[in-house]
Amino acid sequence: MLDSGANTGGNLLSADEIALYDRQIRLWGLAAQANMRSAKVLLAGCGAIGTEITKNIVLSGIGHLCICDGHVVTEEDLGSQFFLARDSVGLKRIAAVRERVVELNPRVALSFEDIFVDTMDEEFLAKFDLVIGTELGEQQISHLNKLTRKLNIPLYVAGSNGLFGYIFVDLIQFDGTNEKLQSAKPTVTGSVSANREIIKVEVHTDDDDDKKTFETIMTRNKYRPFDEMLLNATLKGQLKRRQLKRVSNVLPLTLTQLQNSKLLHENAEKFTENVRTMCDQLGIDQGTLSQEYISQFINQAGLEFAPVAAVIGGVLAQDVVNILGKRQLPLNNFIIFDGITLDMPIFEL
Amino acid sequence: MPRETNIVKILGQKNYEKIRNTKCLLVGAGGIGSELLKDLILMDFGEIHIVDLDTIDLSNLNRQFLFRQRDIKKPKSTTAVNAVKHFSNSKIVPYQGNIMDSTQFPLHWFEQFDIIFNALDNLAARRYVNKISQFILTPLLESGTAGFDGYIQPIIPGKTECFDCTKKETPKTFPVCTIRSTPSQPIHCIVWAKNFLFSQLFAAENTGDNMDDPNKDWGTTDPEEIKRIKQETNELQELQNIITAKQKERIPAILKKLFIQDIEKLLLLGNLWKTRDKPVPINALDIVKSPEDEKLDLNNIWPIQQQIQNFINVTEKLIDRMPKENNFIEFDKDDEDTLEFVAAASNIRSQIFNIPMKSVFDIKQIAGNIIPAIATTNALVAGLSSITSLRILNLLKYAPLKDAKDLNMAFTAKSSNMSQNRYLSNPKLAPPNCKCPVCAAVVRGVLHVSKKSLETFTLQKFVECLQSQYEYEEDISLLDMTGQRLLVDFDFDDLLQKTLSELKLHDGSVILLSDDSDRDDGMLKKPAEFYIVVSGSLNEEKMELPKLNIPLLPAPPSTTDTEETSENVDTVATTEGGQEDVITILDDTDTTSSKKRHFSDDDEGPPTKAVKQAIDDDIIELN
Ligand SMILES: [Zn+2]
Repeated sequence: MLDSGANTGGNLLSADEIALYDRQIRLWGLAAQANMRSAKVLLAGCGAIGTEITKNIVLSGIGHLCICDGHVVTEEDLGSQFFLARDSVGLKRIAAVRERVVELNPRVALSFEDIFVDTMDEEFLAKFDLVIGTELGEQQISHLNKLTRKLNIPLYVAGSNGLFGYIFVDLIQFDGTNEKLQSAKPTVTGSVSANREIIKVEVHTDDDDDKKTFETIMTRNKYRPFDEMLLNATLKGQLKRRQLKRVSNVLPLTLTQLQNSKLLHENAEKFTENVRTMCDQLGIDQGTLSQEYISQFINQAGLEFAPVAAVIGGVLAQDVVNILGKRQLPLNNFIIFDGITLDMPIFEL
Repeated sequence: MPRETNIVKILGQKNYEKIRNTKCLLVGAGGIGSELLKDLILMDFGEIHIVDLDTIDLSNLNRQFLFRQRDIKKPKSTTAVNAVKHFSNSKIVPYQGNIMDSTQFPLHWFEQFDIIFNALDNLAARRYVNKISQFILTPLLESGTAGFDGYIQPIIPGKTECFDCTKKETPKTFPVCTIRSTPSQPIHCIVWAKNFLFSQLFAAENTGDNMDDPNKDWGTTDPEEIKRIKQETNELQELQNIITAKQKERIPAILKKLFIQDIEKLLLLGNLWKTRDKPVPINALDIVKSPEDEKLDLNNIWPIQQQIQNFINVTEKLIDRMPKENNFIEFDKDDEDTLEFVAAASNIRSQIFNIPMKSVFDIKQIAGNIIPAIATTNALVAGLSSITSLRILNLLKYAPLKDAKDLNMAFTAKSSNMSQNRYLSNPKLAPPNCKCPVCAAVVRGVLHVSKKSLETFTLQKFVECLQSQYEYEEDISLLDMTGQRLLVDFDFDDLLQKTLSELKLHDGSVILLSDDSDRDDGMLKKPAEFYIVVSGSLNEEKMELPKLNIPLLPAPPSTTDTEETSENVDTVATTEGGQEDVITILDDTDTTSSKKRHFSDDDEGPPTKAVKQAIDDDIIELN
C-alpha cells in the first residue's frame, strides 16, 4: 500500500521532464511528480471509461501502467473508444489500442495483458501500488476488492449506464493532507463525518504574505469493502430530511444494479421493486423515485457514452493522481453522476 | 451492431439524425478544445469547424493529447484534425486564425452554426464570441479551467445570463509606491523587475507610464516620495544609455545605482520606515563578475552573490542582442535571458527588503502569468460541455427543454475546496442581468453599408440617419467599440466632418449608439449596438439600418464616478502574444468566485457609463 508520507525516493526529474510536465508541476510540485513516476498502476478494462483513464494518467507521467482487457473489438466500441479505428474491429482490444497508447507518452512504462479480472490472482496483483477496475460486473468487483483488501492496495471502480455513471473507492485507510487558508473559525481535530476524522492541524504563515495564515490538515479516511458497502449502505443519520429528499434517483438505481445487474436486463419489474427496497435501506422516501428515471436507467443500462466516460474518467484519474502525488483529499467513497442535471454528489456509504 | 448503436439508444433515431445534421463551431484546439473535439466526434456531430491561432508548444503535451513531440511548432487546428481522423465520422474543417479577425471570420460566417463551443484561454476572445452569439442569437457553451478548477456555462441569448452578466476577475494591480518604494512580497519585486526595470532598460519607449499625468495614482500623498520616484525614473535614462552604448564594463555601475544608491536615498525618507523594516543595500564587494557562466538549477534559490553574478552575465547577453533586435527586447517568459534578468533583479531587490527570494521556475510563473493546467480537469469540463449541448439542442427526448433557465451550469466544487460532498455544483441558469451592458441593457442590430458609402458618408450624415431612423430628438453619442474610442457626444463634435472610412470603421466594426439627451422627464432611449457589415459595390451609395424598436426608459440614477485609479497603477497584466492566458494572478478561488458573484447585486451604474467603463477596463488589460 502507498504510505501517506512524502516519498520522492531520491529520484530526481530530468530537465526535459520538468519542461514537459511544467503546467502540472506548477500545480502539485516536483516531489509529487517524482512520486507519480515511481507508481505502478493496474487498469482492468479498456472500454470507454478505461480509455479516458488511460489517456489521463499516461499523460500525467505515471511510472508504470498495466492495461488488462480480454475483449475483442466490436463495431459498437468505435462509437466511444478513441484509440480504436475501423480496422480494429475483430482484433483483441489490447492489441488494437497498444500503438496509440504507447505514442501518448513514451516516458511511461506500459504493459498490456489479454486477461479478464476473473483470472487475476494475488500473485499478479501484488506487483501494483494501485488498482483501477472499469465496467465490471458485481462478482468481478467483489473478487477484485477481496484481493486488494488482502494485499492492502487501493482500489477504484467505475462504470456507466448511458448518461449515468458511478465511482466506488476503497483506499482501506488513507491519511490525506490538504492545505487551506484559515477562516475565522480555525479547524480542530476530531471526527468530521462517518468515514473521516481530522487527526492533525498545523498552522503556518504564508511566505509571501504574513497576513495570511494557512492550515495543513491531516485527515484520516476510512473505507468499507464493496460487499459490506452494498449490504449496509445508508444515509440515515448522515443527511438531514431535506437533503434526503433531494438525493438523486441515480443513487438507489446504481446500488441496486450493483447488487444484481442480471435482474436489470431480465426482469425490470423485480428490479424496480429492489430499487424501492434500496430506498428504504438508504433512508430515502420511495416517493422521490420517478418512473421516468427508472425506465431511462433500464433503457440505458450498460451503454458506453463518450462524454460521460470523459467525466467519470477525468474525476477518477484526478483522484488517482491526487493520492499518488499526495495532493488534496481523496474521494470517500461513492460518487454518482447524472448527465442530465450534471449532479455529482459524493456519498459516504 | 453498428458504431452509433449506443448514441441512437440514448437520443432516439430521429434525434440521432438531427445531430448528424448539426453544424458546430469549436473555438480553440488547446486543452479543452482537444478534449471537446474528441467528444463531439464520438457523439457523431455532423460537422465540426475548429479555429485556433496557436502553434504547439512542449508544455502543451502534458494535456493536449492529440499532439506529439514531433508536432511542436505546427498549428494546433490542422494537427488536431489530422490526429482524430482514425476515429472520426464527422466532417471537420480546421482554421488557423484569430476568432476576433472579422475579415477571416465575418458575422455571416458565424451564422452557419447551430451551436458554438468556447474552449478559449483568454478573456478578450471569450467576450468577443459572447457578443457575436448575442448578435446572431446562437447558443454558446462557455467553459474554462485553471489547475483543478473548472466550469461550464451554457448561454442562451436573450434567455439566460451571458458571459458578461457577471463581473470577471481583472488583473491584480499594485499602487506605484508599493512597487517602487515599499515592496513587502516577492510579487512586488517581480513586477518592479519586469514592468519597470526591464522595460525601462531594454524596451524603453514601451513603458506607457506617464509620470506627468496630474491624475496619477501614486498610492501615496507624500510629496517627497513622489519627487524621489520621478527623479529615479529620470536617472534610469542614464542606465539605459549604458545598455544602448554596449558598455558592458559599466554593468557594475547599474547594480550600484539600483541596489545601493537608490536604496540609500530611500532610507533618507524616514516616514517610510517608521512602521516597516528598513531595507539593507547590497554589499559593494559582492559586485563581482563570476569567472565563468555556469548553468544553475532553475528550481533552486541561489545565494545573493550568485544572483548578482547572474545579473551581470545575463545583462551582457542582452546587451549583445540589443543591436540585432533594434534596441528593443520585450519580456517573454520563454526567452531565457529576459526571464533570468527579471529573476536576478527581483531576487536582489527581495534580499534588500528582507523578502524571501524565489526560484527562476517560480518567478517564471508569476512574471509570465502561467496558469497551471492538467488533462483531467480539461477532460471533465469538455465532457460536461458536450453532454450539455444535447439539452441545449433539445436532443434528449425524455428530458425536453421547456425553459432555457432549466439548464444547468457546473463548476468543480470539491477540487476548488468549496464542498466535501459534491464533486460538482450545478446551479440552474439565471435570466440575463438587466444591467448587463452586453446583453440585457442594449438593443442589437446589423447595419449594412456599401463600400462606396463608407468612403463618402460623413459622421454627421451618419448620425443624422441614425437620429431620424430611430426617432432621436436630441443629442446622441456614438462609441466605436472595436477601436475603443468615442466618435461623438454632446460636447465632442470634432470628428463630424470625417468620413466613415476615415474614422477607420470597417466590415466587422461594432458601434454603440446611446441617448445623450438631457430631458426634463428623465427618460432615455435604451442604448443600441450595431455590427457593421460592408457590402455592395464601390459605385452604389447605400446604407440599410435594421428595424429596431428602441424603447424609452427611465434614466438610471446617476452614480458616483468610479473611473479613477486603474490606468495609473503598475499592473502585472500583459498579454503574452496570445500564447497562454490573460495574465491574471489567480487566487485560489478564481473560477468559483465568479460564480459566487453570480448572486451578488453589483450596481454598475447606467448602461452607457458601464460600457464606457468596460472600454477603459479593456485598455488596462491589454497594456
Ligand atoms: Zn449579459
